[in-house]
Amino acid sequence: MDTGVIRLGAASKAWRAAVVAMLAGLFCAGSLVGDDPWWPFGPWRMFSTSQASTGSVVSTGIEVQTAQAPRDWVPAPLTPDTVGLNRAEIEGRIPQIVAHPSRLGTLAASHAALRPGAPAWTALRVVRRQIVVVDRKPTGEVRQQTLAQWSAGP
Amino acid sequence: MVGRPVTADGRVAIDPPSGVDTSGAADPPGAADTPAGRDTGVRTPRLGRWLFDPAPMSRLAALRLLVFGFVVVDVLGLHTSGWYHGWADPVWYEPLLLGDALHLPAASVALVELLRWGSVAAALAAMTGRAPRLLGWTVAVGWTWYQYVAFSYGKVDHDRADFVVALALLPTVGLAHLSDRRRSEAAGFALRAVQLAAVATYFLSAWAKVRFGGWEWVNSATMVRAVVRRGTPWARWLLDVPWTLHWFQWVLFTAELTAPVIFLLSERWRRRAVAGWFVFHAMTYAAITIAFWPHLVMMLAFLPLERGAEWLRERLPRRVAATLRSVSGWSS
Repeated sequence: MDTGVIRLGAASKAWRAAVVAMLAGLFCAGSLVGDDPWWPFGPWRMFSTSQASTGSVVSTGIEVQTAQAPRDWVPAPLTPDTVGLNRAEIEGRIPQIVAHPSRLGTLAASHAALRPGAPAWTALRVVRRQIVVVDRKPTGEVRQQTLAQWSAGP
Repeated sequence: MVGRPVTADGRVAIDPPSGVDTSGAADPPGAADTPAGRDTGVRTPRLGRWLFDPAPMSRLAALRLLVFGFVVVDVLGLHTSGWYHGWADPVWYEPLLLGDALHLPAASVALVELLRWGSVAAALAAMTGRAPRLLGWTVAVGWTWYQYVAFSYGKVDHDRADFVVALALLPTVGLAHLSDRRRSEAAGFALRAVQLAAVATYFLSAWAKVRFGGWEWVNSATMVRAVVRRGTPWARWLLDVPWTLHWFQWVLFTAELTAPVIFLLSERWRRRAVAGWFVFHAMTYAAITIAFWPHLVMMLAFLPLERGAEWLRERLPRRVAATLRSVSGWSS
């Protein structure tokens, strides 16, 4: 069994060192001035925002109506396997949704494609829940607000 | 793959057995004056010696096996939001810079199926150890594109970028077998690069906390927010004892900021530090069901994986071992 050491030539070392230097430069630049669109070189900002110790934690969800219960708003899962998008992707697009509520219709269409056996959604609304936090402790108070609404038509 | 001299990829010499395993540890001062150092005809500065510190080929082979095995699990089960984006309306597509530069289209069902099954097929093929560059870089492109699809609909996960470095650089070593006892500078470099990227993740996320959250991040209610939004039943009590999450932020921030110190530690303490990070990630998962899976695989680059492979081989039934031998050169 050969247990020697395999060396690299100068050129092989040079390009490898250059690659590491380039990657380091890109990652540092991304962290200094970049943002999410720089992926994979964007800043590592998971849990990086400061949440005020007194205020409210916002949680966004959707509620839907179906033909079977046309008057009842029922909370529906806002997950990739039901609408093709997740909660954060909707939360990040609230201004566009408020400006064009018809966009919510695409969620109902995606739901119909992903869950053909489930009752079709005839109306959909985005609801924001604010959970009140005082001195880093939830008080139990929850405020709810409808941000945008879409329905399949007459 | 035994035999010398190996000409591929600029390998110029194979030194006689040293008998001393310095893998993973920094070279002692003056190491370049050994005959091995002179053989290359390259006068390498200290940083270079550290970057190219020879590591066992078997360790590299074991990490590659784990990385490609992880790709299969990840693509099929762990991170599937990209796949579901195939069913989202293109109106939600927000190209990242990468997509603008390469003119990547919005996802379609056909594209996400191709990326999903293409990545899995390439990763399974790469696990055999054959055609390591072609298959390895195919996995790198497939997995990265699949992540791109996941992240170009409004939310970027911030824990998956370092894995791109592992997928891009592990194939640079060429053929490496689990039974290959030689040490190589190419393997040492690839492992070092993976370690550097993994540790950079910690340091740069402390940096991001200062940049986006400000120095007051440590005194904010960020962890309260995380537990309110996605806390598990056995983490909810933390909300009733707010100082726990408050102090956790101080500990986490300090640990992240000082993470690069891991490279200055002795081998024994380095492994303890890695174990400490694994404990931290396990606690995070228990509390808010978030785990930075690809990053956890990369942290394995600090460990003597070849010993695990050896241990497994001695205990596996002969038949399983024979199969493995045939697919990944796992012989003694």
